[in-house]
Amino acid sequence: MAINASQAMAATLTGATARMETPVAPRFKAGDRVRMRNLNPPSHTRLPRYIKGKVGVIERDHGVFVYPDTHAAHQGEKPQHVYVVRFASTELWGPQGSANDELLVDVWDDYMDAAP
Amino acid sequence: MNGVHDLGGMHGLGPIVIEKDEPVFHHEWERRVFGMFLPVFATGAFNIDEFRHAIERMGPEYLQTSYYEHWLAAFETLLEEKGMISAEEFSARRARIAEEAR
Repeated sequence: MAINASQAMAATLTGATARMETPVAPRFKAGDRVRMRNLNPPSHTRLPRYIKGKVGVIERDHGVFVYPDTHAAHQGEKPQHVYVVRFASTELWGPQGSANDELLVDVWDDYMDAAP
Repeated sequence: MNGVHDLGGMHGLGPIVIEKDEPVFHHEWERRVFGMFLPVFATGAFNIDEFRHAIERMGPEYLQTSYYEHWLAAFETLLEEKGMISAEEFSARRARIAEEAR
């Protein structure tokens, strides 16, 4: 595939999205407690190290997106929900965290499990 | 991947420098690297997540290089891995550019 200058300009200005229209049932809803999985693949992942094993609360559901882990390895788009997860600063950083601060992280469905 | 790119929560890297009136590109070569993305991407040689992973695979060099150097490193890695350029072609071109710059 080749692109011409006007197509390149259009793509540069509008960008692209990894959002998918595939209907996928969400596993979680706002308010649910979730624990991040402790995943350490040598391949691509967008699960940041500092939230592994940590517990947060689903803030919002962004909808369905391409799953980067499989997509980077040409193993399919594996459409799934991405949620905003709210973490207390002290959950992530322990006593060095701030009691006043929270962190919101976009997290793919496959990176988490329900937390009791 | 537990690579050097995963910097969240790391100490000792200093403050984030926020430039006043930061230009879109700091050097002309950055503009050219930015311009390379779409034509290279449009070949279908790699997808966006593969591109990110190529940056993550840079190793320690990642910490000492700038944003668009990361892009360039990813192009070089992927185009060679996909067989679109050979290691010989790449090193010959680098040598020629170095020669011309003298």
